Amino acid sequence: MCPETFFRVLGPKPWSVAYVQPSRRPADGRYGENPNRLIKHTQLQVILKPPPEDVQEVYLRSLRDIGIDFHSHDIRFEEDNWEAPTLGAWGIGWQVMLDGLEITQFTYFQQSGGVDLDPISVELTYGLERIVAFLQNVNSVYEVKWNNSVKYRDLRHREEFELSLYDFESASPESTRRLFEIYEAEAARLLKDYFAADPARRPTRFPLLKVYEFCLKCSHLFNILDARGAISVTERVALITRIRKIATEVAQVYLEQSTAAAEVKSV
Amino acid sequence: MTVEQKNRTEALLIEVGVEEIPARFLAGAERNLGERLTEALQTLRLLSPDAQPVTTYSTPRRLVARTPQILARQPDETEEVIGPPAKIAFDQTGNPTRAATSFAERNSTRVNKLLKIETPKGLYLGLRRRIRGRAAREVLAEALPQVILGINFPKSMYWTSKAGPRFIRPIRWLLAILAENESARVVPFEIAGIRSGKSTYGHRVAGLTAIPVKSFEEYAAKLREHQVEIDPGKRSEMIRGEVKAVLEGTGLSVFPDEDLHEWVVNSTEWPRSILGAFDRRFLHLPREILVTVMRDHQKYFAVENEAGELQPNFVTVMNLGQDTAGLIREGHERVLRARFADAEFFWEADLRIPLESRQVMLEKVTFQAQMGSYAAKVERMAAIARHICADLESQGALDAEGSSRVLHAVRLCKCDLTTQMVREFTELQGVVGGLYAREQGELEAVADAIYDHYKPANIADECPRNKVGAVVALADRLDSVVAGFTVGLEPTGSSDPFGLRRAGNGIIKIAVESLTTLNLAQVTERAIEAVEAGLARNGGEDLGHHVDSFLRERMEFYLREVAGIRYDTVRAVLSSAVPAGFGIPAVAFARAKALEQVRDTDDFLALAAAAKRTRNILTKSASSDLRDDNAPVHTDLLGEGPERALYSACQGLMNDLGRLNKSGEFGAAFRAMAGIRPQVDLFFDKVLVMAEDDALRENRLRLLAQLNRDVFASLAELSEIAAEARGS
Repeated sequence: MCPETFFRVLGPKPWSVAYVQPSRRPADGRYGENPNRLIKHTQLQVILKPPPEDVQEVYLRSLRDIGIDFHSHDIRFEEDNWEAPTLGAWGIGWQVMLDGLEITQFTYFQQSGGVDLDPISVELTYGLERIVAFLQNVNSVYEVKWNNSVKYRDLRHREEFELSLYDFESASPESTRRLFEIYEAEAARLLKDYFAADPARRPTRFPLLKVYEFCLKCSHLFNILDARGAISVTERVALITRIRKIATEVAQVYLEQSTAAAEVKSV
Repeated sequence: MTVEQKNRTEALLIEVGVEEIPARFLAGAERNLGERLTEALQTLRLLSPDAQPVTTYSTPRRLVARTPQILARQPDETEEVIGPPAKIAFDQTGNPTRAATSFAERNSTRVNKLLKIETPKGLYLGLRRRIRGRAAREVLAEALPQVILGINFPKSMYWTSKAGPRFIRPIRWLLAILAENESARVVPFEIAGIRSGKSTYGHRVAGLTAIPVKSFEEYAAKLREHQVEIDPGKRSEMIRGEVKAVLEGTGLSVFPDEDLHEWVVNSTEWPRSILGAFDRRFLHLPREILVTVMRDHQKYFAVENEAGELQPNFVTVMNLGQDTAGLIREGHERVLRARFADAEFFWEADLRIPLESRQVMLEKVTFQAQMGSYAAKVERMAAIARHICADLESQGALDAEGSSRVLHAVRLCKCDLTTQMVREFTELQGVVGGLYAREQGELEAVADAIYDHYKPANIADECPRNKVGAVVALADRLDSVVAGFTVGLEPTGSSDPFGLRRAGNGIIKIAVESLTTLNLAQVTERAIEAVEAGLARNGGEDLGHHVDSFLRERMEFYLREVAGIRYDTVRAVLSSAVPAGFGIPAVAFARAKALEQVRDTDDFLALAAAAKRTRNILTKSASSDLRDDNAPVHTDLLGEGPERALYSACQGLMNDLGRLNKSGEFGAAFRAMAGIRPQVDLFFDKVLVMAEDDALRENRLRLLAQLNRDVFASLAELSEIAAEARGS
């Protein structure tokens, strides 16, 4: 979850933004063999805070604008609530299906970093490989023409294979756990210093984005352990709780700092 | 008293426009809207006595309620306000007192307008006030927001801010009109900044163009023009017709799947079908997996030929008028190819690790926090299965080879929980294990046992197809029940957090229908020992007793609810002495069926009455410490005639009952019992049990005790049979 999303949906300030981000899901690794599923795919992520009332129409218009005609294609909003338990983030929404293919997750965020959101933001995550494969009318994302001479396969196939190989086979659960603990400890150390100070005198100079980065690393390492089947259900719950603790503290720091900054400005 | 006026009626139509409501909640929400609106109309006194009920409709994007006639205005009401008692309201001269004048003032009237009203407490001064009913439009405007927002959803959301309303998905338009055609007016209210109006919106493809309507008929017709069928019943018919149409002449048919059908009805506004195809090469994957992928991931209906063989086709229902260029079909075919490629990936990846070597991985899969991992569960199941096998072997119902297959199947049955296929399709647990076992060359009996061991899933489901599977399934459930009780997860009242009642029903069903010689009482005792050896105790003290009465309840449930046997027959059989309680469930079941057949004959009812009488006499005399229930009758003390006749009839019957019980001829046994009626009747008629002489009395009590023990309470506790229960 990009920091531009995780933080900006917190607090009252309106914010609308779109950017391209890679999304990594170890469990979705298929060694480059599946035409639609990737361990690392590219999302166009959009945050609309607050969302306009006709947000679904706005979204559909964006698809029309890139050439999808709803008179000859079947578009559906199917219940799918998004959740990132390690980050204390979740929302209510749909997977948007185009002729049976999921092309977007459409979510009304309810919480981020364990904080109830107010106002609510809409997040749209367009699955770019699938949309482009659809537009180019090819059977696999690897057949997408990047330009006249290069296909997506040439760019990404090897990476998909190697990432899958590592996450499913080569990753050592012991080293992964050690890395997890190192990042967790580093985040905890910084947060401890911050929260040790009196609430009124908390440091304004604080590497919050870096702490959040460690949190994301923990989350990713957890996903690797999970994909490897290296954690039991009980341990799973415990690890999620540990990462979420960092995420909720990070969110708290962000909110404190933005309130402090707002006060300085108004003085 | 209410003054009834001639009151006009008007039609009411409400449509809540919502962003796509999840299909699984739609029917419930529609029903709830109807209930809430009806309740509100009642509370607001807008329903005329002959009013027609509220009707409701729904699509993923709208919840609709209408009623053709509600009162245009609430009926006027007369309110009675009681003031001071008449006797203190006027003085001797008949002038109003202070009590009267201040009551009149408080109610803004004059004393001469007040009435004398007779009440149960006497005559009082008071007044009647007419309260004019308010217009329906006005009261509905106040009530409708709560009618709508109060619809019950299992999970709701905010879409504006935390101060805003919660609903299943954002509300985007509100239509609310009262009366029809020229008189149609909007019922004005607002939810989350949306003001109610008189327009609806068509299918998504049409975009956000408002369609103004003036009546329900116009509303339904215009929406149909705009490719929205608001009636789920009609959409259901459309889908059935559509599916038939695309399969016309192909000789193919879809697998009936009512849940999927329902889902499709509730996720479309204008359903049309497409017949698609997939590559034959995927047919090497098991049918169970192909069907599940199509149903769960893509909501496609699987297709079979006349011989019932799965075909490389599917039917999908789109939410759109037509697929002119075939683009939608192509798209679905492409997606299904990727889904099947995924299933194939799981299948091949999973098969690389034999089930056998997945056993260690079960240590990492938690069964339940207090009950430990699946590896621990499998250990306990194996110990329990050994006792079940020993019991069955002792009756010749299983041989040593069968037992070793059971233990092998137990060790493998949970291993599929570590496969990617089961992680992806949880409901295929067991099935996937069975398929992998077959593929990996396990014996068919073992593979089938693994495949079936979650059966029966409910009381109507079938038991595992072979004995090995039945034992594995039984061991699994016995472990869940006993371990559940051990750690304190037993069901209480309506709460059953671990689904143990269902597990208990499965135990009884398997014992009655599949493992018919099983002594469940004994096996349960062994199971408790096996579980206690490995699990910390967190339940009540008397575990054995608790589990016992739990299984007895499940047995009662089975006999009454599944087999339809009367409650007192069930009680009679389950209270019998040989063997105690539910003992061998199949035997208890057979006895109950036999007793149910003979119990309504006159001889038998008389016998049941005699059994009750005998029991009463024995209970009353129980204080006498002379008597021991098992003490033998002194034949030399028996009087000639009825007393001796009963004794010898009893002796003869005992032998017969013993033989018939052993051979399981319970019908004959109960009929034989009924044959002793003349001797019993004569005995009670002619012989005084409570004789003066101590020795005689004691001997007669012994005779009755023997009759009770060896006849009346032997195969069933006859005194439990209620005489008036006939035909109930």
